[in-house]
Amino acid sequence: MKPGRIKYNILNILFPVCAFMLTCSFVHPDQVPFIYRPVYFPIYPYSTYQSTNYSPDFSLSSDSVVIPLKRAGRLFLIEAKVDDQIGNLVFDTGANGLVLNSTYFRNYLKSGEAVSNGITGSVGVVGQISIGKLEFSEIAYKNIKADVTDLGHIENRRGFKILGLLGFSMMRNLEIVIDARNNELVLIRIDKDGKRKNKANSEFKASYFQKFETNSNILFLKGKIAGKNLNFCFDTGAETNAISSDSNKNILNTLTITRRSTLKGAGSARSEVLFGHMNDFSIGERHISEMETIVSNLDALSEAYNTKINGILGYNFLVQGTICINFVKKQFGIRFTKKEEK
Amino acid sequence: MKTIVRFTLLFIGLFYITSTQAQFSPDKICRIENGHLVFAINLKWSLRDQKELMQLFDLDSTLIAQVFSGKSIITGEYGGWKVKKVKPNIVELSKPVDSKNDKNIKINDLFLEIDEWRNFGGNTEDVSVVYGVNDFKLSYVFTYNKIKAQFYLPAFKTAGKIFLSGSFNGWSTALNPMKRVKDSWITDINLKPGKYTYKFIIDGKWTEDPNNNLREDDGADGHNSVVYCCNHLFKLNGYKGARNVVVTGNFCNWNPDGISMHKTDDGWSVPVYLRNGTYAYKFITDEQWITDPGNPIVRKDGDGNLNSLIGIGEPYLFKLDGYSKAREVVLTGSFNGWNHAELVMDKTEKGWQLPYVIAPGNYEYKFIVDGDWITDPANPITTQSGDQINSFIALKANHLFELNKFQKAKSVIVSGSFNGWNTQGYKMTRQGEKWILPLFLAPGKYTYKFIVDGTWILDPDNSLYEQNEYNTNNSVLWIEP
Repeated sequence: MKPGRIKYNILNILFPVCAFMLTCSFVHPDQVPFIYRPVYFPIYPYSTYQSTNYSPDFSLSSDSVVIPLKRAGRLFLIEAKVDDQIGNLVFDTGANGLVLNSTYFRNYLKSGEAVSNGITGSVGVVGQISIGKLEFSEIAYKNIKADVTDLGHIENRRGFKILGLLGFSMMRNLEIVIDARNNELVLIRIDKDGKRKNKANSEFKASYFQKFETNSNILFLKGKIAGKNLNFCFDTGAETNAISSDSNKNILNTLTITRRSTLKGAGSARSEVLFGHMNDFSIGERHISEMETIVSNLDALSEAYNTKINGILGYNFLVQGTICINFVKKQFGIRFTKKEEK
Repeated sequence: MKTIVRFTLLFIGLFYITSTQAQFSPDKICRIENGHLVFAINLKWSLRDQKELMQLFDLDSTLIAQVFSGKSIITGEYGGWKVKKVKPNIVELSKPVDSKNDKNIKINDLFLEIDEWRNFGGNTEDVSVVYGVNDFKLSYVFTYNKIKAQFYLPAFKTAGKIFLSGSFNGWSTALNPMKRVKDSWITDINLKPGKYTYKFIIDGKWTEDPNNNLREDDGADGHNSVVYCCNHLFKLNGYKGARNVVVTGNFCNWNPDGISMHKTDDGWSVPVYLRNGTYAYKFITDEQWITDPGNPIVRKDGDGNLNSLIGIGEPYLFKLDGYSKAREVVLTGSFNGWNHAELVMDKTEKGWQLPYVIAPGNYEYKFIVDGDWITDPANPITTQSGDQINSFIALKANHLFELNKFQKAKSVIVSGSFNGWNTQGYKMTRQGEKWILPLFLAPGKYTYKFIVDGTWILDPDNSLYEQNEYNTNNSVLWIEP
């Protein structure tokens, strides 16, 4: 082999390897192929008035209605009218009932009714009010109660006028079908047995059903990580999933951590937040890998819901398929999206 | 033999590379193991990799410096971290997972930080688009005449209800129903010239316009259709034998591919949207650059080339009275990057003037009189940044900040999310019994306060306000599209 040829061969080897390494080194943090999203815990899990089984009356002229959902980042919004105000409600199954933004409903509060601020320090109950009418799509509610809190931070992050949050309990007597990929919410009339009233409207075909036991306004699902049964809060207002940082070691061992942040609060307060992927989550027989998640302390949430919560299933879970919730049957169903549709 | 030599060299080469460099894969660095956060760190990572490691995982530079200097015991305030050598050049940095949460931490801060990582600026419409051209499959599905836009959706005859939703109506799902006309759907909507994104909502289902080739990512695994409401027709008569004609100009950075023109009975033309402003342009006919023979206004560029010139929108007349003995007066401002030579003003009987077209917005400017930079003596509204005072003008202002009372105040400033909460920025002017400042604001939400002689106050005439991080509240203002 001639010396020139050797040089040529060495260059042949070195160049592609070096070029590859150089390319890798140029990956900017923003381009890291993991998607991070604000979490979190329900925007507002606290309530001053609502007991379990809260279910206000409503009027709906047809057997079913398809409500187009607007997307604001990873939040799902429903255009609504509350008395004379037009804006958006966040479809937030982590919220109890109806929660309205104090920016627009402060005047409804009677003096002396305000409650001191803050369980989390960022959001808290301001008070409770009654509104004359709530309308969205073809649905209307009259004379219903609502909590009032400051939701300006959601508006500022997402650029939409947010009148409030709309929880599950507002539609407890309807079957709820959420097709997150197509930004649709379908509400279907059901009878006292939970069956669709219009028999021409065939029942939801699910890949997997799960019965839920709870009578509360929040839906808890059983899922598994590392073979352990866990209690997840199903929350359409959570912009990413969450796992409790005090979970069992075997559960935390299955996570990939791709980002960490230390948030500084007042004084010396600090809080560590980890981001990454759930690699070993399964629900029923379905194994779902690489769902983004945050790892954080969920004690405040467990306290608020009065039950131990191991995690939250939010946006990343919602987009896995079409979800059907039937509070009368106490049944959660999901029809997973086929891989080729993704 | 030769083959063996080649393989040996390949092996040596690869071994050399892998032993001297270390690949940095952010998803393989960190794991949780038995309640500990563990980072596997290769001591051969470059400084750039180390910096990325610190950014991604919020690790302190002093801590990382100690690790890369080969220390096995971490000292100082990072004592909670432990270092363990696991392989030559590979160490593991670990600490227990912090499972406590401080309730004083504001979760909104976390949201904001993650949004920043994702470079997510909210669902705001890009108002800075300079130009655009439509690309519909059927010419009649969208028409635009002055301000009336008509959207036409053929077919979908079995649909019950169809709405038009887009950036022009805040993506409302209810404001713009379409009318059924025979087997098709139609709606008219008044729109200003500009770029808009939209979808149809057919019986509750979001649907892209099937007859529009122009679309962009909707940020949710789908697409929005894109339409431009055009306000200018580029037209070139003749040149019927040309194979290809394009128009290019400073609106597209003189890209030679420019905007393709269509053949007409008289020659070539193309309707475009151009944001309000002053533009230089040329046609390229089969690679030959020419000025517009139908436009008498031409101006030399810096290299002495002639370009055709158009102004889109109404010109604003900048005037400076007096200074009759000055040799030259130049207008300069934020609208032309504070160019100190470009906009030479014309001498008049009373002084100096220059009609100039600029897009609606808030601008700072000054006059340069024989080299001396002066504010506009006829304009009481100024902005201040440090010691620098500039004249201020809001062209096509769509909001008037007003503060009643406070007649005895010496200074009132409005500060808010529109100017990054600058505390000197927008000085209000006293007009009768109130203080005023007109501003141009793009559609969206703004928070603001007044600063009256150094004291921050809410707008007393605005009932909308929200909590801020200091628990002192900010006034809230929405500018509708």
